Amino acid sequence: MMLDHRLILLATPRQIGVLDWRPGRMHWLGEFAASEAGLTAFRAVVARHAQLPVLLVADTVDEDYRSEILPHVQGHARNELLARKLKQVFRNARFTGSWRQARETAGRRDDRYLLAALTDADWLTPWISVLHRERVPLYGITPLALACQHLLSRLRLQEPHTLLAYRLNNRLRLSYYHNGLLRFSRLISSDTPAQLPGNAADEIAKTQLYLTGQRILPREARLHVLLLDPSGQLDGTQAQLNADPAFSTRLIDMASLGRALRIPDSFLAATPEVAPLAAIAGEPLQLNLAPPELLQHHTEFRWRHGLNQAAGIVAAIGLTLTAAYWLHAQDLRDQVQLIQEEVQRGDARHAAIVRNFPALATRPDQLGQTLALATQLNRSPLDVNALFLPLGQALAAHPEVIVKTLMLQDMADGVAEITLDARLSDFDGNYRAAMSRIDSFVSRLAATPGVTAVERVTSPVDTASTATLTGKTTGETKPEETRFTLSLQVRT
Amino acid sequence: MTRPPFASLKTSILLLLAASVLSAAGIFWSHQQDTAARADLQRQQAALNAAHARQAQGRTEERLIAQHLDAYHALIARGFIGEENRLAWIEAVHLANQDARLYGLTYTLSPRAAAPAALAGGLPLKQTRMVLKMPLLVETDLPRFLDALRARAPGLFRVSNCRLARITDAPPQPVNRPELDVECELLWFTVANDTGTTR
Repeated sequence: MMLDHRLILLATPRQIGVLDWRPGRMHWLGEFAASEAGLTAFRAVVARHAQLPVLLVADTVDEDYRSEILPHVQGHARNELLARKLKQVFRNARFTGSWRQARETAGRRDDRYLLAALTDADWLTPWISVLHRERVPLYGITPLALACQHLLSRLRLQEPHTLLAYRLNNRLRLSYYHNGLLRFSRLISSDTPAQLPGNAADEIAKTQLYLTGQRILPREARLHVLLLDPSGQLDGTQAQLNADPAFSTRLIDMASLGRALRIPDSFLAATPEVAPLAAIAGEPLQLNLAPPELLQHHTEFRWRHGLNQAAGIVAAIGLTLTAAYWLHAQDLRDQVQLIQEEVQRGDARHAAIVRNFPALATRPDQLGQTLALATQLNRSPLDVNALFLPLGQALAAHPEVIVKTLMLQDMADGVAEITLDARLSDFDGNYRAAMSRIDSFVSRLAATPGVTAVERVTSPVDTASTATLTGKTTGETKPEETRFTLSLQVRT
Repeated sequence: MTRPPFASLKTSILLLLAASVLSAAGIFWSHQQDTAARADLQRQQAALNAAHARQAQGRTEERLIAQHLDAYHALIARGFIGEENRLAWIEAVHLANQDARLYGLTYTLSPRAAAPAALAGGLPLKQTRMVLKMPLLVETDLPRFLDALRARAPGLFRVSNCRLARITDAPPQPVNRPELDVECELLWFTVANDTGTTR
C-alpha cells in the first residue's frame, strides 16, 4: 500500500500547501509561504516524507490550454507528434503536457487532445528544487483545473457543458468541462473581495462569450454553472446568473462536498483547499506537465518499490510454502509416531501370543501338514505278502520256472515293481519250446489279478531284428541258457 | 517506465536475490523434510501392516497349535518328529529278527539326508537309509519280519525295495537251513530342522 500513500502539494506563486494523503485518511501538513522561511519549513516537511511519492497541483494565472485535433497515430510517432505540437504551441515552456481525451467518431477518426502548459513557472522553481534536492519521487505536475475535474466526478455532476466557478484563496478559477473532461480554465486574481459577487457573474458571462467565440462551447448550448466557494461569497452570484436563460446555476455546499469526498466537515471548513487535492489523490494522472528529468526519482522509486514488493512476495511465498511443507512434515511425523506406538503394541501382543507356543520342529502353520505327511507315510506300505500272492499262484502253475532272484521295488501310490530273474528247470536245446513255456508263464502272470503290466526284459533268445544274436549248436545244453528276466507292475 | 537505474537499485536487487535464494532454500529444505517424512510414514504403515499380519498369523498359529498339539506330541513320542533315534531302530530290527525266528542280520545306516522335495512338501523332512541283509528260510519269512518290525518300529519307515536271491541252485530241502538271501532297503523318516526346533 506504499504507492497509495502520497503527498499532494497545492502550489501557487504565493505559497504551497502539503496534504499527506492515503486512502480513507488524510492530514494537512500546512502551508508554506514563498519565502526563505517558508522554503526551509517546506524542506523540513518534505525531508520527513521523502519516501512518499509526490503530486504537485499548480494553481496559477500563467497557464494555457489548447484543444487540438490530431491524426490518430500511436507509439513513438505519437510521442514525436505531440512533442512537436507542444513545442509549436507553447514554444519554450518547460512544463507542458498533453492529454488524449477522445477519438472523433466521424471522418478520419482523429484524436482530440488537450494541450496544456504553465507559461510562466519561475515561481515554481524553488519548490521543485527542494523536491529534487531531497530526492523526492515526484510523479507529476498537473493544473488545479484537472483536480477540479475529479471533484466534479466525485460530486456525480454529468452535465454536458459545465463551468465550475471555484473561489479559493481570494481568487476565482473558472473551468469549463465538456462531458466531464477539462477543455479550458482561467484564474482571475482579485484583491478586492467585496466586489466579487458582481465581478464573478461578469467574469462567468465573459468566459461564456470567450468559449463560444473560440467554438469551444456551442452557441446553442446552455451552460451549467457550478459555484463552489468555501467562504460563501459567491452565494449572491447564483441569483444574477439564473436571471439569464443561457445559464443554469447551482451552488455546491460544503456539506455535499464533504460527503462526496468523505472528508469531515470541520476538516474541510478549516482547510478548504484539500477538496480538489483529495479528489485527484487516488486517481490516475491524465495530464502531466512535468518534464521527464523531474520524474527520474519517481522512476527509481517505482523500480525500488517494485523490486522490494517482489522481494516481499517472493519471501512471503517462500515462507508460506516452507511453513506449509514443514507443518505437513510435522503432521506426518506425528502420524509416524502414532503408528510406531501401534506397531510396538501389536508386536507386544504378538510376542505375548508366541511366548506360550511350545517348542516345535516345524512352524506352527505346518503342524497340520506334518500330521498329514505322517498319515501319508503310514499309508500303503509295501505289502510283500500282496506281492508274493500273484507270483506264487503263477509259479505254482508253472513248476518248471525256477526263480533265481526277486527284486521288489516300492513305486509309491500303491504300485510296486517286481523284477524276476528265473530259468527253466530243464532244457533240451529246443529254444522254440523254451520260449513257448516262458510265454505261457508270462501270459499266466499277466492274467493274474493285481498285475497291471508284464514286460519281458531279457529272453533266452533275443529274436528282435535290431539285436545282435550269437550262439552255438554244439549239442551241449544247460538250463542256465534259459535265463530270462521279467518286470511286473503290481497294484498292492 | 524508462530504463531502470541499476546503480541506485543495488540494495533492492540484492534484497530480491536474497529473498529468492532464501525462499528457494527454505522450500527445498522443507520439501526434503516433507518427502522424508512421507517415506517414513510409508515405511511405518508397511510395518504396521506387517505387525497386523504377524498378529493375525500368531492367532491362527495359536489356534492351529491348540488343534494339533496332541497329535503332534504323539508323533514326537513315536520318534517321527525330532532327532533320529538310531539305537532304537537297531534294537527294533534286532528284536523283529528274533520275533520272526530268523538267523540274524547285518545292517547299514547311511547319513541322514533331506527327503525328496515332492514328498517333503516344504517340511524339514529327513530320511535315513537302512540296508538290511539277512538269510531267510523261505520267502514268507520276509513279510513276517517286516510286520514284526512295524509292530516295534520307534518311528516311521517305508520299505523302499527288497531283493531276494536263492543261495544255491539246488531244489529246496526239508531241513532248517536258510536258502535265501535277502537285502532290503528301508527309509526311516524324521522331521527336524537342521538348526533344531523352532518356536
